[in-house]
Amino acid sequence: MNTRRPVAASLAVLGYIVMIAPLFFVVITAFTAGSTVRFPPDGYSLRWFEAAVTYQPFMSALASSLQLAVFAAIASLALGVPVALAIHRGKIPGKGLLEGMFLSPLIVPELVVGLALYQQFMIGLGMNNLTTLAIGHTVLMFPYAVRVTGASLALIDPAVEDAARGLGATPMRTFFTITLPLLRPGIFSAALLAFVTSFNNVPLSLLLQSREFRTLPVTMLDYVQQNYDPIVASTSVLILAGTVLVAVVAERTVGFAKIFGGINR
Amino acid sequence: MLLLLPGLVLLLAGFLVPALIMLLAPPDTTTGEVLARLARMLTDPYDLTIIGRTLGLGLIVTVTCVVLGFPIAYLLARSQSRWAGVLLAVAIFPLLLSNVVRTFGWLVVLGSQGAVGQTLVALGIVDEAPQLLYTPLAIVLGLVQLFLPLAVVSCYSALAQVDASLDEAARGLGAGRARTFWTIVVPLSWPGVVVAATLVFAGSITAYTTPYLLGGSRQRMLSTQLFQYSSSTIDWAAASATAMIMTVLVFGVAALSSVMGRRARTS
Repeated sequence: MNTRRPVAASLAVLGYIVMIAPLFFVVITAFTAGSTVRFPPDGYSLRWFEAAVTYQPFMSALASSLQLAVFAAIASLALGVPVALAIHRGKIPGKGLLEGMFLSPLIVPELVVGLALYQQFMIGLGMNNLTTLAIGHTVLMFPYAVRVTGASLALIDPAVEDAARGLGATPMRTFFTITLPLLRPGIFSAALLAFVTSFNNVPLSLLLQSREFRTLPVTMLDYVQQNYDPIVASTSVLILAGTVLVAVVAERTVGFAKIFGGINR
Repeated sequence: MLLLLPGLVLLLAGFLVPALIMLLAPPDTTTGEVLARLARMLTDPYDLTIIGRTLGLGLIVTVTCVVLGFPIAYLLARSQSRWAGVLLAVAIFPLLLSNVVRTFGWLVVLGSQGAVGQTLVALGIVDEAPQLLYTPLAIVLGLVQLFLPLAVVSCYSALAQVDASLDEAARGLGAGRARTFWTIVVPLSWPGVVVAATLVFAGSITAYTTPYLLGGSRQRMLSTQLFQYSSSTIDWAAASATAMIMTVLVFGVAALSSVMGRRARTS
């Protein structure tokens, strides 16, 4: 790295080590031939990858997590895009306050949200955990939809929309032929963020789990508490690989840094 | 405005109203009981230890993340190298990756059969691998790993907006490297540092996965204690009181940060 700034460079190297080194050890452990998580591993094999993909609880939890994340991403966008439009294009009083309110699920601790839904919906109203999880994840992903599509909406020149309307397009037609296509990268970023965040969520999913419907991170967390074998390492490597794939797609389509720029408060 | 309506309904019914009811009147108890429990928590030594640990570790994590994250962001923002883009991506990438996966790595590194312990034994420094898991150090390492990317992103977006020619101007006028850094670079990117610190602190004092896996029941934090109250002991008053403390802390930090951010802009 930069040798003219020795202090900054050494701190930066240390930072990268803290961020990356643990992952490096997970990858090595995943390829162990032995039956315990130890370092250095007892030889190398792919047996724990085979164990991971044939371990029923993880695979059904993976299916649950994917379904829930897709639902939360679609639902939060379906509700969030209109809100972003109203805040950035509509003539309504108290926009700042309103936006703050819509972003509030980001600030309130997730466990608090989870506990509230657990008490009021599952215990109070007797809802099943699937419905409660779907509502909870949508609520948590909602700020991403409002914030990220809002940020990209702010970059679109309203004059383009005015021009379309001036030429006789209805508001509906203006939205679908002008605004929506320009908004596509923003919507894609928001969808991706919501999907990834929902897929990785622990606190909310932990409080709202049931024996029938559990997400993958929660199942892995439970597993680690009871057993300490390399199956979690190989599952982690599979998740890592999947996440790299998502990152590459994100980089190719919208640009990585841009996606995260959108949620910075 | 019709467009707002569905979102507003979701927000009120699925979040604000349930959260308020839970904080003030959870099942089987009264608001009075919650408040009494809250008062007891703020004086009880055991509860105070947990609050103190949560705040203390949060502070250490925040300072560490800024001290490590700012140089990364600074070097990346000023670098001409084409590797800078790759390194930035490497720093941001963990934000997409599951906390369980990231935290699990520390079990492999710090566990009794793990890399650090076994290396120390192999080098003959210690006879038996030291207990590194379930210590405050483990929690700090885990949380720093978790939140460092967030600190890098926040600092980077602030630094990218500071014109690099200002650095050169200061240097050209005779300021040394250190003086340029402290009088030009840091003040101009201060709002980014405030945002970074806020996100990291708020995240650290409410994170669950990391203190659960790396701290266990020996190093309870507010989050793990809250889960304990609501899932094992089913003590709704205590759970609500803990939730209240967490919520107030997070909102307090957010308010403090907006004050600090505003002061930076006007000075």
